[in-house]
Amino acid sequence: MIRFNLNGRWIESTDIDPACTILKYLRTEVGQTDVKEGCAAGDCGACTVMLGEMTEQGIEYRTLNACIALMANVHNRYLLTPSGIGRAGDLHPAQQAMVDTHGSQCGFCTPGFIMSMANLYQNACINEKQALTDDEIHAALSGNLCRCTGYRPIVDAAKKMAELPKVDVSKISTRAGVQTFDPDTQTLSPQPLQYKDGHRLFMPYTEAQLKALLKAYPDARLWAGGTDIGLEVTQRFSQFDTIICVNRIPELAASQDTGNQLWLGACVTFSQAENELAESFPSFAQLLHRIGSRQIRNMGTLGGNIANASPIGDTPPVFLALDAMLEIDGINGRREVPANTFYLGYKKTVMQPGEYLRGIRVNKLSAEETLTTFKISKRYDDDISAVMFALYLKVNNGTIDSARLACGGMAATPLIGEKTSAALTGKPFTMETFKQAADCIEQDYQPISDVRATDKYRIQVTKNLLTKAFIELNQKGDAA
Amino acid sequence: MSFTSSKVTPWEQRRQRPPKGKSGKELAHESAEKHVLGTAVYIDDMPEIAGTLHAVAGKSTINCGVITKLDLSGVWASPGVVDVITVNDVPGDIDISPAFTGDLILADGRIEFYGQAIFAVVAETFEQAKRAVQAAVIEYTQEEPILTVKEALKRDSFVNPTHTMTEGDVESALQGADNTLAGEMYVRGQEQFYLETQISYAIPGEDGSIKVLCSTQHPSEVQKLVAEVLDVPVNHVQAEVRRMGGGFGGKETQAAQWACLAAVFAARLNRPVKMRLDRQDDMVLTGKRHDFLNRYKIGFDNDGRIQGADIELASFCGYSADLSDSITDRAMFHVDNAYNLHDCRVIGHRCRTNTVSNTAFRGFGGPQGMILAEYMLDDIARKVGKDPLDVRKLNYYQEGEHTHYGQPIEDYYLPELIETLEKNCDYRQRRADIEAFNKTSQWKKRGLALTPVRFGISFTTTFLNQAGALIHIYTDGSIHLNHGGTEMGQGLYTKVAQVVANEFAVDIDMVRVSATTTDKVPNTSATAASSGSDLNGKAAQNACITLKKRLVDFAVDYFKVSADDVRFENNHIVVTGSDGKEDWVSFAEFVNLAYVNRVSLSTTGFYKTPDIHYDPKAERGKPFLYYAFGATCAEVEIDTLTGEYKILRADILHDVGNSLNPAIDIGQVEGAFVQGTGWLTSEELLWDDQGRLSSASAATYKIPTSVDIPEVFNVALYDRPAAADTIYHSKAVGEPPLMHGIAVFCALRDAVSSVAGYQFNPQLDTPATPERILNAVMECQQAGE
Repeated sequence: MIRFNLNGRWIESTDIDPACTILKYLRTEVGQTDVKEGCAAGDCGACTVMLGEMTEQGIEYRTLNACIALMANVHNRYLLTPSGIGRAGDLHPAQQAMVDTHGSQCGFCTPGFIMSMANLYQNACINEKQALTDDEIHAALSGNLCRCTGYRPIVDAAKKMAELPKVDVSKISTRAGVQTFDPDTQTLSPQPLQYKDGHRLFMPYTEAQLKALLKAYPDARLWAGGTDIGLEVTQRFSQFDTIICVNRIPELAASQDTGNQLWLGACVTFSQAENELAESFPSFAQLLHRIGSRQIRNMGTLGGNIANASPIGDTPPVFLALDAMLEIDGINGRREVPANTFYLGYKKTVMQPGEYLRGIRVNKLSAEETLTTFKISKRYDDDISAVMFALYLKVNNGTIDSARLACGGMAATPLIGEKTSAALTGKPFTMETFKQAADCIEQDYQPISDVRATDKYRIQVTKNLLTKAFIELNQKGDAA
Repeated sequence: MSFTSSKVTPWEQRRQRPPKGKSGKELAHESAEKHVLGTAVYIDDMPEIAGTLHAVAGKSTINCGVITKLDLSGVWASPGVVDVITVNDVPGDIDISPAFTGDLILADGRIEFYGQAIFAVVAETFEQAKRAVQAAVIEYTQEEPILTVKEALKRDSFVNPTHTMTEGDVESALQGADNTLAGEMYVRGQEQFYLETQISYAIPGEDGSIKVLCSTQHPSEVQKLVAEVLDVPVNHVQAEVRRMGGGFGGKETQAAQWACLAAVFAARLNRPVKMRLDRQDDMVLTGKRHDFLNRYKIGFDNDGRIQGADIELASFCGYSADLSDSITDRAMFHVDNAYNLHDCRVIGHRCRTNTVSNTAFRGFGGPQGMILAEYMLDDIARKVGKDPLDVRKLNYYQEGEHTHYGQPIEDYYLPELIETLEKNCDYRQRRADIEAFNKTSQWKKRGLALTPVRFGISFTTTFLNQAGALIHIYTDGSIHLNHGGTEMGQGLYTKVAQVVANEFAVDIDMVRVSATTTDKVPNTSATAASSGSDLNGKAAQNACITLKKRLVDFAVDYFKVSADDVRFENNHIVVTGSDGKEDWVSFAEFVNLAYVNRVSLSTTGFYKTPDIHYDPKAERGKPFLYYAFGATCAEVEIDTLTGEYKILRADILHDVGNSLNPAIDIGQVEGAFVQGTGWLTSEELLWDDQGRLSSASAATYKIPTSVDIPEVFNVALYDRPAAADTIYHSKAVGEPPLMHGIAVFCALRDAVSSVAGYQFNPQLDTPATPERILNAVMECQQAGE
């Protein structure tokens, strides 16, 4: 049974297919057509909704793409849609500001924008804070496409909403009262959260439960953030016998700072990681701002990005460059493997049925160590990389003691450029060294041509990125 | 004041002030409040009638050939499937072409492009229908396809004959020119990417009639084609659209196929049938902006003055004519942009390829022609070593000249508009600053461009320039407005309602706009060619004039005054008696009075654009009632190591004549600029070597996001009434501002050429992705060595 709150109303349902997305449920099951389908792939944001989770500080909301998010996401949570946060004559500040700035034209993307803006408002404006920065606004809107307005009036609306009378949407969510749940009621229970027509979905709350389920269903599909599973449902119309949702297990969704190491749970979302990496790996955290959109970053996880073994995932090259260790657990016990031995081939990893990725361990950087990342894509925000470039360097007294270049989009897997890295190691930290190392790029990588870039460009730009890395590091003086 | 006032404002209050929301004033979009609440109803949002089925098309997996086996038994056996049809099941016409022939409802044995619809299935749910189509077993014999413009040119493969426009003697002009430059540029197409994908909902009625709710810019054509496909008279079909979630030309002809298929199923099964394309099907199955291969040879004197031009345009039409003939013509009409090409020849080929049939997209070929003018002007400037703006100035048309298709140059105030922008945006100082920046900055380079837009307004097929409206006034004074134009977000309903409010001097909340439907206003033209408010605004105004005349005639009779003594003011009819005393009667009261005295309060209005003519055989005439003007100055910064770039600033000055609604017009200008910029930067429409669309999803086809707009973005309307007799002397605004994006492209090329000291013209095709910019930078670096 799924239990959730929709615009202030509690709903319990035993009849929802595990592969049913939030969008499909809203539009076809309960006639909530204020949430739109633009692409059914998490790329346009027309379906954006707010999902709230009760914490000690009250309900914390985040946006997500209802089109690819499975209904299990809303279990025990609070869902808000555009017609739930305002009504005619009594609009939410985000809505009122949008009307005032002429921010809608065809209006089809508008409800999605409203939810992104209302979420930003809820997180940043109801607590005194007034002016939003352009960066905050663009980050909130990065997953919402508008084809009519050219965005200027929408950005203006986002600025203006902060000045309007305060509205706290958590009061809407809680108007039928707060219900408390005890997740342990499902302890070791083989009962699926959802079951329909032979398809089942489990939502374990502990690793012990997860392992028990993996033993029973070793071929189950693991769902961490669900951004890929969602696509399989909406783009390929796939069906799954068994899905196990792993993101409610607290150990997997948290990170730990042990002083000189950072341990990141596999289910840490990109949004969480933006904060948690900001101090130790600012370059990495900056890169995270350009992975997917805010909605996708609120769903997608570091572990998912690694374990789905896409050659164009953005974080694996960084973990390779950082020489991260990956912690795997499952029915055969726990093991750690270096990131650089994790990938066996296109979409293939060392993980066995019955195993799950538990977390990632990275060493923090010393004063002599740097991480430089570049993402090359046609569009700045919410695009998939043509080339993802990550370079780790350790420079002592003007000499490169250690170097590790890893790239995405350059091979069938995320891949360390062994020869390039070797060509940098032991050499003086000079432009000359970087230019010479660039000659090794073609030996390390033989990329393909596809819709994102040609092979020639991929090679050329990767070479140039070495130069760019030197220029930036040299300017900062970090590595000199 | 909004359109949906919940409380009725007392008439006494309405008398105390000028009417609200009248024409010429900023007014929110009529659906703004519903947009933000998500309660504006699009077709897929309508409550489904019990028994509704969902249709999906089965697509070809080859690009060119003949179907040898079509086994649909697996489709029939799929869960939820209710019916499956092929072309043989269509009761009437199978050709659904808008103007020529060749656009088929379903493939008729031959496959002409990858993804062509071969059959269609309806099932209880959309997902079931999507899964069912995968069960088809289809075999083909593959034939050799034509997949590119170049290949089509080589093999003389055209959908319509080539047109040529000539002015003077181009050979002598080029021979006598001080300098000549020749080149070619490939301009890629563009996916409309309306947020609401194609959708139709067909509901069967009595006697073989059918109602089709269709997200279309052209309900009358949908109505006619559905009637032909079903083999019923046109009066048996009603096509209706309240609003679209974006159109941009992509729902002018491309909506009809899905409407027709839904209608065929609905008629066969006597059940309501919805056909909604999901994004991936929409991108593969529907046409886009045409790619153009543009070649030129241009002659000019040592100052940069154009002496002659030989231009050849070749459009990527896909497998059928669709609207490609007019689109290619419009490209030819716009290769001069603001400039007199003098002796010139403009050839336009319509290339037939085994790809989806390309179609209308905002600008309708104009942008692909216009960008060539600006590309050539930049080439000339670098060749003669001058600021590109100065070379542009040398070449503007002069009043009294005529274009290469014979249209006289009149009311040509574009040079003054450019002058104003040049001053306001501080062009000269910034040019100097940028040159200084580029001298000292090794890796980052900046570029600047100020380019004009001159876009011809009217359908170039003259008979399409007509429109109708229907107005009822009810006894409480509320007004029902209907017209043939469709609402796709451009604010047409708002503007026309403002016209009506203005005519009767009533508040805008007295006017209710209703869904565009073929049983209210018949035989309409598409809402296209930027003509929506020009045509429908005038038609509605004409209806108002008719009704006002009836009301005034009634007042004259009733109050025993002369017509001059009756006026509409502040929601009232003001009658001045012979004693000079004014009698203020509220609009409601007066209308009711007219009603009880048996005055008809309903009428139609009609409008046809005067004074235009074009002879397609001679390629001469005055196809446009007037031109819309504008200019943009764009500044960019490129990274010469990666080819990445950002738009630092854009200043736009655009001419809409007397704006009907400045807020909506600014919105059109800004939105079009960003859309045009997307076309020329991040939006890369790519086909693979099998003619499959590789950029067939939002994951691979990248329209701009909010962070892509210029960091400094100044947009203003040029304050000058249109000379032509348009509605309140306004000008059309839909398409023209798209071409402001060309300034960004020219600025990028300017930045690239700085790498070679502005001495070299780098090849830069569109879109200018980081990859193309980097290649152009490297070309400049090699040229500089």
